Amino acid sequence: MSKLGALKVELHTLQEKALAEFSKAENLNALQVLRVAYLGKKGALTDVLKGVGKLPAAERPVIGKEVNAVKTALAEALRACEGKLSVLERQRRIESERLDVSLSGRQSARGSLHPVQQGLDEITAIFSQMGFEIAQGPEVEDEFHNFDALNIPPEHPARAMHDTFFVKDTDDAAMLLRTHTSPVQIRTMKRLLEEEHALPLAVVAPGRVYRCDYDVTHSPMFHQVEVFKVGEDISLAHLKGVLQHFLSAYFEKDVSLRLRPHYFPFTEPSAEVDVACVFCVGKGCRICKGSGWLEVLGSGMVHPNVLKSVGIDSTVYSGFAFGLGVERLVMLKHSIPDLRLFFENDVRFLRRMGA
Amino acid sequence: MKLSYSWIQEYADFKVSATQLSDDLVRLGHEVESVDLPREAVKGVRVGQILSMIPHPNADKLKLLSIDINEAEPLAIVCGANNMGEGDKIPVATVGTLLPHGLKIKKGKIRGEVSFGMCCSEEELGLAEEALGLLILPPDAPVGAEVGEYLQLEEAVFDLSITPNRGDCMSARGLARDLAADAGLSWLEPELKSLDEDANMAVGSIACEAEDDCPLYMARRIEGLQVDEAPSWMKQRLLAAGQRSVNGVVDVLNYIMLDMGQPMHAFDADTFKGDVCVRGAKEGEDFAALDGRVLKLHAGDLVIADAGKVAALAGIMGSEATAVSEETTNILLESAYFRPASISTTRRQYGMVSEASMRFERAVDPAMVAVAMQRATTLLLACFGGSASVVKVLGDVDVWLKPREFTCDIARLESRLGVAIPAPLDDVLRRMGFDLARNEGQLHVSVPTHRPDVSMAEDMSEEYARVIGFDAIPAELPELPTIQPMQKDTSVQDAVRQGFVQIISYAFISRQEQRLFSSQDEQDIVLENPISDAMCVMRRSLFPGLLNTAKYNLNRQQAGVSLVEQGRIYSKRERCYHEDNILAWLMTGELLTPHWYAPSRDADFYDMKGAVETWLSARGLVARFITDDDVMGLQAGQTAKVLVGKTVLGHVGKVDGDLAASFDLDKAVFVASLNLDILPKAKTAKFVALAEFPAVERDLVFLFDHKTHADDVLQAVRKPAGSLLMGVYIFDRYDGQGVPEDQVSLGLRMSLQHPKRTLTQEDSDQVMQAVIETMQARFGAVLRG
Ligand SMILES: [Zn+2]
Repeated sequence: MSKLGALKVELHTLQEKALAEFSKAENLNALQVLRVAYLGKKGALTDVLKGVGKLPAAERPVIGKEVNAVKTALAEALRACEGKLSVLERQRRIESERLDVSLSGRQSARGSLHPVQQGLDEITAIFSQMGFEIAQGPEVEDEFHNFDALNIPPEHPARAMHDTFFVKDTDDAAMLLRTHTSPVQIRTMKRLLEEEHALPLAVVAPGRVYRCDYDVTHSPMFHQVEVFKVGEDISLAHLKGVLQHFLSAYFEKDVSLRLRPHYFPFTEPSAEVDVACVFCVGKGCRICKGSGWLEVLGSGMVHPNVLKSVGIDSTVYSGFAFGLGVERLVMLKHSIPDLRLFFENDVRFLRRMGA
Repeated sequence: MKLSYSWIQEYADFKVSATQLSDDLVRLGHEVESVDLPREAVKGVRVGQILSMIPHPNADKLKLLSIDINEAEPLAIVCGANNMGEGDKIPVATVGTLLPHGLKIKKGKIRGEVSFGMCCSEEELGLAEEALGLLILPPDAPVGAEVGEYLQLEEAVFDLSITPNRGDCMSARGLARDLAADAGLSWLEPELKSLDEDANMAVGSIACEAEDDCPLYMARRIEGLQVDEAPSWMKQRLLAAGQRSVNGVVDVLNYIMLDMGQPMHAFDADTFKGDVCVRGAKEGEDFAALDGRVLKLHAGDLVIADAGKVAALAGIMGSEATAVSEETTNILLESAYFRPASISTTRRQYGMVSEASMRFERAVDPAMVAVAMQRATTLLLACFGGSASVVKVLGDVDVWLKPREFTCDIARLESRLGVAIPAPLDDVLRRMGFDLARNEGQLHVSVPTHRPDVSMAEDMSEEYARVIGFDAIPAELPELPTIQPMQKDTSVQDAVRQGFVQIISYAFISRQEQRLFSSQDEQDIVLENPISDAMCVMRRSLFPGLLNTAKYNLNRQQAGVSLVEQGRIYSKRERCYHEDNILAWLMTGELLTPHWYAPSRDADFYDMKGAVETWLSARGLVARFITDDDVMGLQAGQTAKVLVGKTVLGHVGKVDGDLAASFDLDKAVFVASLNLDILPKAKTAKFVALAEFPAVERDLVFLFDHKTHADDVLQAVRKPAGSLLMGVYIFDRYDGQGVPEDQVSLGLRMSLQHPKRTLTQEDSDQVMQAVIETMQARFGAVLRG
């Protein structure tokens, strides 16, 4: 056989062998090894090409063509095998990485805001969005701010109704735990006027208050939010409008409300405010004692003596004020049956109610 | 205050249902707590007559009764009472009756004998607080009749909560006036009968030495009374009003008080020694009150005294010695107007409340002082005979009957209410006793004597609001200021986001709890009238509340808790009261619930510290934590003060083991507390260009003395490392095998970066060399291979 013929046979054998080995390769690595073995710089095909030099010049292009054809064929075969193998390998990898997705995830610990805090935040936010400024005051208060300045002189029967905690061993003025957030009215009006804040004033004052009363429906400490607005021509109708807006926003639905004439020394006229019972929708149930109404807050037009006590001319200015019981509103909104739950701090309850 | 519908109906012809009247009362500002229906409540209880009574065969204390209730067959009833006999008439609750206390009568067998109902006592019918036996009805009671009807029980009784400004409505007459005016009904004032006075009867001298506190005082003597029980219709009404029957005279006076609002008092004229003197008490003067208490009076307490002793604390309570009894024949009858503030001050001083003081405190109607005297006398004489003297009057009645007058601007009233006030509404107020005249936009008001609470325009705005009805007032939003961004305090929210459960605990704790975390008790704010010793002092630390809450929850199967509380602490320093806003944390027990991917782990110091660090970093703050061995209640060596700059914000540490154990907490308890009032303001983040050139990380591991603080090491790295150092932290800490005792291996990982070019090997080698030298010089640290 001529040298050319022998080379051709050699090439042919090489191609057959390579193709057979390619198809048997089990993974991409093995295929890579085969690529190097056949097509690499020191591979089998290069070896064959070395023999080309020994051929007469006229025959070289013929065999050159043959070699290129084999190279192309092998490269194509490799590409095809690679494609198949990579699909296979991908499938294998995916299979090996399969998880039990039903196992629970790694959760970060979840905390919870106290429901009363949520209530305070929600209530304060509603008024804040209506343009009321947030204010605070001391909880250990003097008699003047808690009573006298609010038109409750010492012998006033309303004082006895407040179940006040008094502080022992006071030096001068009697000190007490504030029984309502209303003293913040006095302090804030005084402060804002001293800072030459122009009227109207619109203030929301959340805080803790204390009453010496402890049973199933009373906690000696609870939270109130005081809301007041003083300016020219502020009317009872405005009070009603603000209450309507607030209660609908807080309960996230239109609630009907009812104002009942009442008496507070620091407002005139005064009104207790009821909302249609959220449990029976006004039909009457155990919680509303069959009346269909739930008392939620006390309100009224600021008494001229209160304005006088901070130096506001009551013949020019008027104002409304009300104090919300936070626990009560939260209980109604979330159907919490028992006030005591708030201060027992059982984390099961807190987590369930917590946001 | 309780009052029956029938009593109110004496003053006007009310025809509406009790429910409707209740709504009307509420609309006018008189809160109705409940509407009781006493007659309805005993429906099914009938008059029965005992035909026969034999002992129960199986029970010594029971009897078998055969009772006629005017039906075809007598009823067989088993009964345990023993105050009845054959022929007696008694109330019988028939099968199906629901008694006032909730007992439903069923046919039943008692010790083998069938019983078709129950014989009732006054207590079981809701007519008395307690009873010794069955209620024996009069012999003429009609057998078979409904007992409620026979006893003329009230059909409806209102339980009212009268506001302190409306003393005038603490009577049937007063409430009826408001209601009748509102409904437009005509007023039926009972006729005041004239009286035959015995002009010759001596009353004795009456003197008033305290005209300020007692501007109006009237007294008369009544002789020859034969005190008997008050008429049953009166007792019935008093009972419905919650007034226990005392004796005929007292019952009549109570009746007058509830009817007209004027409290009166009767002294037994035979035990009252000598002349009447209305005066201020002497300091320390004794007073033996009707309720059995003996008081040492204070100077200025208004009293009614005889020649020797105090016979009454004016308007509040009479003395034991001069009290009227069934044996009394001669009385001294008093009707007066006492200054409200005087009554209120005195009665609060002694913790006394009486129906009389409640009315005097709220001011009685001066116009009623004489009228009540007249009506009470008439009733007493009609019921118990006797004759009355003339009335002695101290004080200028005419002055007190002059109405208060003022003028107000109608437009301002309307602007206060936000609604028009049409003139016809004036008629409603006129029926309530106001004298009103409109003139060129002005309203001239003349206030009746029974409305001392009305003295200015704003008061009139309330009167109009009541009669207009709050429902008729429109709801309008006022002009509201432009919205300011809300400065929201997110302290507690941030802690909650880190996994803590917020709690709210009481601001008052026990003295023992207070002393756990603070020593100086002179700074305590102590309550005069605490709920209990456990809630008697204002807290100076949030830790006791957190510990109690941890205890509560760990006793309820929680394996661990992470709690946070925001609240104030309170103290008194140099006569000033301070309140600080504190955020405090507590962690104890299991931190993670056991899981498939990790075992559970208990909280430790670094969990607590890490929580505080994370919380601070959310505010752009980096704190230093410095060992503090002197924090009360916290364990030395595991407690640090938290500093930002030079300000100590608070502490983080481990609660003393014994202290924790006293709260039943077995596992280590970690707490932290920061004073939010002194927290520096977070700086607004400023943009810094991100580094262009890559950073290089280099590690160095040294052996240090065991007591060396990591924070000191990290601080010490900064200087030699110079400006190339971007950050350094401890990546490893080891003191196990291979590390000599009293030493610890700390691995420092430094991140180096050049702002203008890529860092060279030489650059970082230089820095490493400088650090090694510093560590050796400063701490004697040895570089580990
Ligand atoms: Zn309801």
